[in-house]
Amino acid sequence: MSHWRKKTLDIGCFVGSRTVRDHTKRLVFEQHEAERQALRYVIRNTSLPARARAEAQLQLQQMSNYTRPTQIRNRCTIGGHTRGVFRDFKMSRFNFRMQAMAGVLPGVKRASW
Amino acid sequence: MPFSLTRRAALHEVSLVARQRAYPDCSRQPMLALAGSRRSKASLSGEADRKPNLSTQATSEPESPRHPRSVQALHLKPLKREAEHGIPSCDLQLRSYSLQPLDFFCDFALRAAYYLGLPAYGPVPLPRITQRWTVPRSHFIFKKSQENFERITLRRLIQIKDGNPETVQLWLAYLRKHQYYGIGMKANMWEFSELGGQSVTKQNTRQYETDINAAWPHLGQVKPLESALEADKVLNHRLSSEASGPR
Repeated sequence: MSHWRKKTLDIGCFVGSRTVRDHTKRLVFEQHEAERQALRYVIRNTSLPARARAEAQLQLQQMSNYTRPTQIRNRCTIGGHTRGVFRDFKMSRFNFRMQAMAGVLPGVKRASW
Repeated sequence: MPFSLTRRAALHEVSLVARQRAYPDCSRQPMLALAGSRRSKASLSGEADRKPNLSTQATSEPESPRHPRSVQALHLKPLKREAEHGIPSCDLQLRSYSLQPLDFFCDFALRAAYYLGLPAYGPVPLPRITQRWTVPRSHFIFKKSQENFERITLRRLIQIKDGNPETVQLWLAYLRKHQYYGIGMKANMWEFSELGGQSVTKQNTRQYETDINAAWPHLGQVKPLESALEADKVLNHRLSSEASGPR
């Protein structure tokens, strides 16, 4: 799938093969989203002829897996981790703690109640 | 309100100082007034009791220089206009993580609305948004020891009633231009027109677009970067790298 990848680096976060791959998948999904949705519509529309629907099904199957939204996985922008990533900060829990203690995240404080 | 009283007191002192500066020869009179105030404190009289004395003094003296009314008004609460019909035309919500800039900017927005002739109501303190995150301090096997972090978003609502849509837009643009650090704004606008008629904004959409595009470079405080080289320079600057993270 290297033909999807940008020739120059276009991410500003942690750089690793997996983060680059994930970023590429996001771009490819964005490019093909409309096409995917159109095919899905044709497949599910019972008022269309069965042949057209079967063709659409085949086309959808033959699309690259990079165009699938389920391939996208949130990654930590600082360490590239996939687990325990906060959506609000795009960071894994440990990096979030480090940044919060350094006072880099606006408004985030240690809480006690 | 104890708050307004203290502000009024501050203004009172300022005017005294101004008089002293203007008449260095007859500086005894303010001294006398101060002495009187000390005595009146013993007799439990308040700030309001001293006011009539001051005014008679002022009338007996020749015209003394004072601060402009707009400067004096800074020590008082923001002025507000009364809405005639009470039809809401704009809801402005201000958000911040800290109180000081939020209160300051609310005050600024209210004053701006007053001088633009808009009847503003508020600031209404909306419920705070508290977000909390709990994270283990170290590796997952030490799950027993965790740490809590929180972020509290403070919100204030300023409502404009009976506002002319163009004036309201002007007000919003002015607030954007003088946006204060650490403050987020969002506004909902409503406008009313006759049945079947086109709204004011729809009529001049194209004109507004050109106006907005012309005004856009002047809004905000961020200068656009002209070239990729310049962006590189900014990114590699020592300050930006220091500001970007703990490492």
